[in-house]
Amino acid sequence: MKLERLQVGTVLLLSLLGFGASVQLAVGKKKEKQASAAAQMDQRKQAVHALNRLAFGPRPGDVDHVMAIGVDNWIDQQLHPDKIDDNALDARLSPFRTLRMNTHEIVENFPSEQMIKAIADGRQSLPSDPQKRAIYQAQLERYQNKEDRKQQTAVAGPDKMADDERFLRLQERMNADQKVEDLLDMPPDERMKTLLKMSPEDQRLVTDSLQGDKRDEFLEGMNPRQRETVEAINHPQQVVNNELVEGKLLRAIYSNRQLQEVMTDFWFNHFNVFLGKGADHYLLTSYERDVIRPSALGKFEDLLVATAQSPAMLFYLDNWLSVGPNSDVANGIPKRANNDWKRRVRNNGQTNQSKGKRNGLNENYGRELMELHTLGVNGGYTQQDVTEVARVFTGWTLKQPNLGGGFTFEERTHEPGDKTVLGHRIKPKGEKEGLEVLHILAHHPSTAKFVCTKLAVRFVSDDPPQALVDRMAQTFLKKDASIREVLKTMLDSPEFWAPDAYRAKVKTPLEFVVSAVRASGAEVTDAMPIAHQLQNMGMPLYGMQPPTGYSMKADAWVNSSALLGRMNFALALTSGKVKGVQVDSEQLPVRNDPQQALAALENALLSGDVSKQTNDAIAARLQDSKISRRKLDDPARPPNISLIAGLLLGSPEFQRR
Amino acid sequence: MSITRRVFLRNGGLAVIGTAAVPSFLARAAYAAEPVGAKNKRLVVIFQRGAADGLNIVVPHGERAYYAMRPSINIPRNQVIDLDGFFGLHPSLSPFQPLWKQRHLAIVHAAGSPDPTRSHFDAQDFMESGTPSVKATEDGWLNRSLHSLPSPAPTDQSAFRAIALGPSLPRILSGSEPAIAINNINEFGVGGNNPKGTPNANTFEAMYEHSVDSVLHGTGQETFDAVKMLRSADPAKYKPAAGADYPNGRFGDSLKQLAQLIKANLGVQVAFADIGGWDHHVNEGSTQGQIANVLHEFSQSLGAFWTDLGDLAEDTVVVTMSEFGRTARENGNRGTDHGHANVMFVMGGPVKGGKVYGRWPGLDQSQLYEGRDLAVTTDFRQVLGEAVYKHLGNKALNQVFPGFDNQPGKFLSIWDKTTTQLSRRRLPP
Repeated sequence: MKLERLQVGTVLLLSLLGFGASVQLAVGKKKEKQASAAAQMDQRKQAVHALNRLAFGPRPGDVDHVMAIGVDNWIDQQLHPDKIDDNALDARLSPFRTLRMNTHEIVENFPSEQMIKAIADGRQSLPSDPQKRAIYQAQLERYQNKEDRKQQTAVAGPDKMADDERFLRLQERMNADQKVEDLLDMPPDERMKTLLKMSPEDQRLVTDSLQGDKRDEFLEGMNPRQRETVEAINHPQQVVNNELVEGKLLRAIYSNRQLQEVMTDFWFNHFNVFLGKGADHYLLTSYERDVIRPSALGKFEDLLVATAQSPAMLFYLDNWLSVGPNSDVANGIPKRANNDWKRRVRNNGQTNQSKGKRNGLNENYGRELMELHTLGVNGGYTQQDVTEVARVFTGWTLKQPNLGGGFTFEERTHEPGDKTVLGHRIKPKGEKEGLEVLHILAHHPSTAKFVCTKLAVRFVSDDPPQALVDRMAQTFLKKDASIREVLKTMLDSPEFWAPDAYRAKVKTPLEFVVSAVRASGAEVTDAMPIAHQLQNMGMPLYGMQPPTGYSMKADAWVNSSALLGRMNFALALTSGKVKGVQVDSEQLPVRNDPQQALAALENALLSGDVSKQTNDAIAARLQDSKISRRKLDDPARPPNISLIAGLLLGSPEFQRR
Repeated sequence: MSITRRVFLRNGGLAVIGTAAVPSFLARAAYAAEPVGAKNKRLVVIFQRGAADGLNIVVPHGERAYYAMRPSINIPRNQVIDLDGFFGLHPSLSPFQPLWKQRHLAIVHAAGSPDPTRSHFDAQDFMESGTPSVKATEDGWLNRSLHSLPSPAPTDQSAFRAIALGPSLPRILSGSEPAIAINNINEFGVGGNNPKGTPNANTFEAMYEHSVDSVLHGTGQETFDAVKMLRSADPAKYKPAAGADYPNGRFGDSLKQLAQLIKANLGVQVAFADIGGWDHHVNEGSTQGQIANVLHEFSQSLGAFWTDLGDLAEDTVVVTMSEFGRTARENGNRGTDHGHANVMFVMGGPVKGGKVYGRWPGLDQSQLYEGRDLAVTTDFRQVLGEAVYKHLGNKALNQVFPGFDNQPGKFLSIWDKTTTQLSRRRLPP
């Protein structure tokens, strides 16, 4: 790592401030590059900057730690996440079983509606494990109940049903409430056993009525598996989605492999898939874990191929349904032993219009692959290229996506004949045509420019210097599209460390919320309330429907509703009003004098980077005896630390990184 | 705490609003005086994000080619709500039928952007910036539409003059005119929409008001102005009128809250809401299915909004748009891919409705754009330009839609008596 920084003057200054001990390690490197003191960040700022940009912001003690080992060393560690111990995080994630299951296991343990329908139709059998079985039976009951209602409504008409129905539901609810009360009187294990012994209908009614505090009370004292079962009886798919969301937040907050998580978030957003689209409810766990994270710092081409073949992407952008207009399936040719695509002649006639769900080309993936994943919208491709790429990827499909099946190449739906993509002639070779196109795209200069611009926008500024992007793009093209090498070029650049880059990026809601939790040293026992806050701020996790992903620029996130949301979150967080999140007062400095308390918190939460305006506004507030808690009879009582912390986390300064 | 300068200017002697609870009669009085000139005119823009399938929304049921190209997803002739013997509404648009009959609903078919892009992102961007093919435009046309309105007195400026319903401010409203995003009027404030205001809000306001951070400072100021106004006007007390049944969902919620803000007399002049879920590449459906469901939500919400506004609808115009249409032919998955021209609805008191405007380009192979899509015969800026010019009263269209020759002589005359009837080439089969 060649970083330009550290001035002798700064060292002296920092020593005076009491940071001297940790500074010495980094002295001496790259002296010749240290132009003028004014053009450099001091070492503390560099540490803060690195933590703000390459991590989700500092936790208590992080800045000192990074200074102690040296910013270079810390960055080097972050670039090699496999060497960083993350056992504490693993322990936090251990209750979430779905995070370790393959897609098939997930679908089997937390059945989808299709799976339940298959059982209702007698195509599948019930599992024997009692907890699993309870989940299935409750869903079956729910399914039958829904079907019955549909029937009744069809016979009696919607209006006639209303009164009887309302009465029935009221009765059911009162009945369920009583059962819940009985269960709550039992110790957790017995509560679970009794629930499992209930009829599926009662199980459904009981779990339906578990809302808010009652739910918390019900789950109290149960082990993770038991909790999961209760939630799954209610809504199995929700368990899968919640665990995914909780996993993401816990990683962002607690993982020591911060850069890997930042990059995983970056690439997931780049190759965005929307959780709410059908089977993708079940596919994102594996997508993020097996496709995105392992290559987050690796080769871009690996990422591109892995996403192209991932069930999540194939389903999301509909490629699994795309069929070559002249393929065997489209032509109604039955399966045969020798499927030799080379012998087939390309037929330029009319698209086969025979009935059937799949009989033609779907351009969705082909277009987004070039526009969003690789070349960028001005990357120099045409509508003809889109169609040709769609032809290339025919046959890249899925086996039973709703039941957890994976990628497969289906030759019978693959379009025969030559294709021409971006002027390259792609000769017929089945699945390998797609790999050839991905290779061309991964190493295309437009891709280098597009991807590096996006990285620079994430890490450097909303409008990154062109010279920096060009150097990153050169590395991208020279070093086999190695993401790690591109990041190194960026981190070696004076632009990254320029003083005007310091706290220049406005945080996205995710970055804000996670950095606030980290800064406050909070203990998160349930991350879902945080996820709900993100939804209110316009950034639901895995919830971006269009394939563009979320913006990483300020203008998308600075607006009235979002700003109020941030202030409210900050106050709620530090005053313990975000459920499942406890701010440990031990983590925050306490001073009895209100002004000293403010100064100490400014240092702890914002490394002292607080404007006079913000400081004055809070200082003025501290005149209020309710806040300072200063009373004549009790002069030693400390001020309201959590309120001061909340005001600081909601300040303009904390909105930037 | 200090009152922000803008609120003070706007509300003159009633700047007291910022400081504490104001008796509601006083608050009402403060906002009862509406802006002069085009003061009561409101323009509401609805964006159907994801490229709605205009051919299955306002169906050219008199076109043989339509049925030939869409064997499995067409809307059968006997199921459309016929409008004029050639076009018909998708059956899920039944809430639009009374509006059409009362001539409060006009339709522009084959409208769209001249830019050929089929990228959602780019096309939405161009439609919101109002400058197709020009990426450098920094602000949105709806923001600019307020720009050169004849110099409004300071009191005309309400924090709610330009609003977007949703968690973020869209491109269409970004720009130099203050505009706010509001997600939920009941949660719009620090510590909830507390009628008394809170000391925490005041502390935050002091931080943001004096912040040197230009981005956050400006937004912060707009935000706190709006919070105060909202607090005193208390729009939550305006419940939907009888018969205004908003469906569940974000779009219905947005329009319900917009109606509350309008009814609370908060000075709304331009407003924006969007509805997603139109990108039907697979299993689009016809009279039932995906498109039917989203159209139901769309029309039910707009119908409820219309009912809810009552007399206020007289001065309100709603325009709908979507980034582009979809392929004339269905694709291999009973869906449609990205296309070109689309349909726009114009709804409101001063609208000359009950007509389909624009020139119908036809669906024969030779008439299709690039051999696959409905061709654009009306630039979307012609429709919006007329709304801005005649309804908002902003005559400086060269600033709202720079680079587009948008003279009154070229309007479709949706607001006038003299209307150009849609020319039709073909007789029903």
